[in-house]
Amino acid sequence: MIRIIINRIGQGIITLFVLVTLTFFLVRAMPGSPYTEEKAIPAHTLQRMKEYTGLDQPLPVQYFRYLKNLIVHQDLGDVIKKDGVKVSEIIAESFPVSFGLGVLSIGIALMVGIPAGVLAAVRKNTATDFICLSAAMIGICLPSFVIGPLLAVFAGLGLDSLNVAGWSSPGDWILPAITLGLINAAYLARLARGGMLDVLSQDYIRTARAKGAPPTRIVIRHALRGGLIPAVAFIGPAFAGMISGSFVIETIFQIPGMGQHFVNAATDREFFLIQGLVLFYGFLIVGANLLADLAQIALNPRLRKS
Amino acid sequence: MEKGTSLWKDAWHRLAHNRAAIVSLFVLVFILLLCFIGPLMPFVKSPTAINLSNTGAAPSADFWFGTDQLGRDLFARVLYGGQVSLLVGLVATAVAVFIGVIYGAIAGYAGGKIDDLLMRFVDILFALPFLVLVILFALVVDNPASLFTDWIIAKTGFARDRVAPITTLIPLFIAIGAIGWLTIARIVRAQVMAVKKQEFVEAAVSLGLSRPRILFRHILPNVIGPIIIYTTLAVPGIMLLESVLSFLGLGVKPPNSSWGILIKEGADRMEVNWLLLFFPSIFFASTLFALNFLGDGLRDALDPKSAKD
Repeated sequence: MIRIIINRIGQGIITLFVLVTLTFFLVRAMPGSPYTEEKAIPAHTLQRMKEYTGLDQPLPVQYFRYLKNLIVHQDLGDVIKKDGVKVSEIIAESFPVSFGLGVLSIGIALMVGIPAGVLAAVRKNTATDFICLSAAMIGICLPSFVIGPLLAVFAGLGLDSLNVAGWSSPGDWILPAITLGLINAAYLARLARGGMLDVLSQDYIRTARAKGAPPTRIVIRHALRGGLIPAVAFIGPAFAGMISGSFVIETIFQIPGMGQHFVNAATDREFFLIQGLVLFYGFLIVGANLLADLAQIALNPRLRKS
Repeated sequence: MEKGTSLWKDAWHRLAHNRAAIVSLFVLVFILLLCFIGPLMPFVKSPTAINLSNTGAAPSADFWFGTDQLGRDLFARVLYGGQVSLLVGLVATAVAVFIGVIYGAIAGYAGGKIDDLLMRFVDILFALPFLVLVILFALVVDNPASLFTDWIIAKTGFARDRVAPITTLIPLFIAIGAIGWLTIARIVRAQVMAVKKQEFVEAAVSLGLSRPRILFRHILPNVIGPIIIYTTLAVPGIMLLESVLSFLGLGVKPPNSSWGILIKEGADRMEVNWLLLFFPSIFFASTLFALNFLGDGLRDALDPKSAKD
């Protein structure tokens, strides 16, 4: 058990290292530089600016300097175009927003998706099953940038509410969280249905039925634990998907989260900001996967041995 | 080969009895024909012809789906946008499947240390933020792609508006394909490992066939089923990804349009004219629906053991 955890943590560290390296070179390979602005910058000023950020050095030097700053000083660097603003400050400012949205929407996804999936499995091949599956398919097949505006209009708020949306009152949280939550609920419902169907056809469920246990009890006490394993395994990747989904949601609802910063940083060639944000995303995903693995091991005794 | 043909016949038989899958197949063929053959018909208008005296028109005999805010024919725009969306979905999936099959086959066939190393690498890539890397990758290959466009134009003398719609999509193909091959690599590896233990492979080895020949001529044809299933199920995901990238302004760029772009434009104007959102969304969603149902149907047909009901 402990060996598995240590193994996973080690793999997570390697993953992050690969991510840092890959991002560093991808970002440097992009056409354009952070200093292309409408007004031409005088050559000597540009030189001074590059010296300041270290971008005048050869790539390997830059790379090892970045790694050193990262590991020794836990420093992600500065935002190039904003004097004195650190990448870590941007993350500290925008992460709580994205995180709040994420937690809310995962909560909604779990509350909607799991019961829908379980219900569909228990009532297999009935109208209930059909409705749940179709609803899930719609959630999977429509892009989030359609679901968001549709929900806004159906909620009677109108499209204007999207444009003035902010992140100050709790009311601003609800619509984006529901949008993001419903999309993930669709995947969760399908996985929960599949997992439950597998389990419900097993011998031990038949035994439980044979000994006369009431149907609800069979589902809740006997089937749920095993049947939800695929859905639980999905929550880790779902967290990653939620982050990427939040790019779109944050753009539609004008939410000042990390997603917007990332898209802007990528188009502005804000080298250190991109690298910092990607590393932070990677860190979150690795952490989420680790937790999902542990949860799976807790649910499935057979995994503990290997 | 007697057994091989009967397997496919069996599968076809099972598929033919799956009503959802057959309907999906017809829907797909219909949409493909409409998008790729339709624009050749004389009654389909130009998707880019602006007519400011006929903006936001309702559907009529002349303009089947009405017109948009610039007076362009929505029907033509949906068909041409469909070409781009379907092309991105199919080609990017093909790139991903090609890489994934070769990688997974080698890992599964080699086994041992090589397999460990190759699959550990896949595990690592799997844990990376996918969309983030696709975005970075798309930006990196953007410049070479536009140089390539210029080069083609200089070499062949084709008009820019004939070349650019296709070559500007290359970054998307590469970016999505380069990162989308991980799942298929895992699937193919597992399948190859199972197949390579069977007697006919031993027979091939004892006949002295070369390893690449055994792998590509004897083992891979036996794992084609899962590859087909996965490919069908991967296309909708990749089409969705294209729409998200286009929405963020990082995918297909104007004057090119795709269903993703049309849907985004429609969503922006849905209170003024909801048809602009409705028609592209219906086409997009039907295609994705059909691909998902067909994929599920193929899985049940080719791999009856996994059939859930």
